[in-house]
Amino acid sequence: MLVDEGDNLNNEKQEEVSMKEKILETMQEIAADSDLTLMSHIDDDTVLLESGLDSLGFAILVASLEEKLGYDPFSMMDEPVYPRTLGEFVAVYERYAP
Amino acid sequence: MMRESFDAFLEDIESDRESLVSLGRTITVRELREAAQQLLKDTPSIKGCAVALCGLLPHELITALVAFDGHVSSMLLLPASLSEEATSLLVHSAGCEWRFDSLMEQPVRLSEGMGKFTEVQPTTWILATSGTTGTPKLIEHSLETLTRTVKRNVSRASEYTWGLVYDPFRFAGLQVVLQSLLSGSLLCIPSEKDISAQVKYFADSRVNALSATPSLWRKLLMTEGIHHLPLRQITLGGEIADQGVLDALKQAFPQARIIHIYASTEAGAAFAVQDGRAGFPLAWVDGEDAPVHIRISERNHLMLRPAQLPGGEEIHNRIDRDGYLDTQDMVKVEGERVFFLGRASGVINVGGNKVNPEEVENCIREMSDVADVVVFGKKSSMLGQLVVAEVLAAHDGDRTELKKVILQHCRERMENWQVPAMIKFVNTLAENAAGKRERIN
Repeated sequence: MLVDEGDNLNNEKQEEVSMKEKILETMQEIAADSDLTLMSHIDDDTVLLESGLDSLGFAILVASLEEKLGYDPFSMMDEPVYPRTLGEFVAVYERYAP
Repeated sequence: MMRESFDAFLEDIESDRESLVSLGRTITVRELREAAQQLLKDTPSIKGCAVALCGLLPHELITALVAFDGHVSSMLLLPASLSEEATSLLVHSAGCEWRFDSLMEQPVRLSEGMGKFTEVQPTTWILATSGTTGTPKLIEHSLETLTRTVKRNVSRASEYTWGLVYDPFRFAGLQVVLQSLLSGSLLCIPSEKDISAQVKYFADSRVNALSATPSLWRKLLMTEGIHHLPLRQITLGGEIADQGVLDALKQAFPQARIIHIYASTEAGAAFAVQDGRAGFPLAWVDGEDAPVHIRISERNHLMLRPAQLPGGEEIHNRIDRDGYLDTQDMVKVEGERVFFLGRASGVINVGGNKVNPEEVENCIREMSDVADVVVFGKKSSMLGQLVVAEVLAAHDGDRTELKKVILQHCRERMENWQVPAMIKFVNTLAENAAGKRERIN
């Protein structure tokens, strides 16, 4: 199948934005459900465990994303990676996207 | 390796060796023993009594343990995190005659001593269980049962510096304290609660030995600076160690010896797996070289026959004709390996914290908006398991709102880890063939 290079890049870019948005949105939901307050400004360099989610909240995030996205990258990895920042976390989900 | 007291172990270790660092102060073996002797001298009437040690600072607790072991009938260890209500109740139910809240103040005498205790008799160490709401249960140990898994090599121990990530009042923390102090290693106790600050402190202190649950290790691996720790000994325990966390640790610390420990409180037995793989070798089942006698029952329960069997009716009913105790841990065999699946009772292990599903169900069922509920564990790649609730709502209505109300209700009544991580609304609740609710997921 022939793929237009330009189109493909465009799609990937879109996917990147929406993945990060999905993750941020899920973080907000969990924070609201768990009575936690997220940092007012979260970007790629934000350290996950300092974002306002505790380790339980973080585990819930991974489980909720599995429900929404249909996969858990951390149970699929051959080379285990534990991301530290939001940027790294998003990259892991993009890498393992089906 | 039974000795008559904690202090008797310390006698073997060079007195100039550094024993612990607490609140920035380094304490040698000699200083620790002298402080303990002074404490005993200052409180002579405590001998033979039941003593409560409530929320002492870590180095105070260690001093008190060295001072009193072998001289008092029992020591009740209660962490500072317990409420005063729970503390008073437990101090009373353990029949304590003296209560220490700090070593800077005089202890409080609660009642007259019975004075029946003769020295050299083993002191009972009483620990409180964690993880359930209401009043914790008290579990009796002795220095012998607590040190059964301690590896003691006094000359090599000086090469190890242990970091303490657990509360020393709890079983897991006490194990690290005893492993480190009894063998003569240095123990570094962080003052900070925050994990990043603890990791920085451990790196500055050149800590090279750590023991934590698999869930805590995952969290540590996500913490900046962890890779700067010159780790040589990595111990995992308290929950099932999966291949992912073992591999991640191997990758991050290729020089370290990585062991995961299986322990059954009731069986008083533990074995350590050192080959870097999850589960344990099938060859250990009915095997000659097994660290403990192991069998797998027809219902796929792990059965153990420890050298010494504990007493009590509940334990007695779980022992088979050949003397094997049903650990209630479910296993499966895959190839040449035996893997752990979780508790047969459905008890959920959230990052080392045990959750009884019935307790969570009862809490949710109290609500008039809920017709029925089933609670089970869902596999989590981060915390081992998470609590999931399937709820049958009593009437139609806004599910998002009901979910919020249920979570609020649970949070007010239970610990964080007991509160369902997910709530799903269903029309019928699943039951298995035996009519029992299916909890394995």
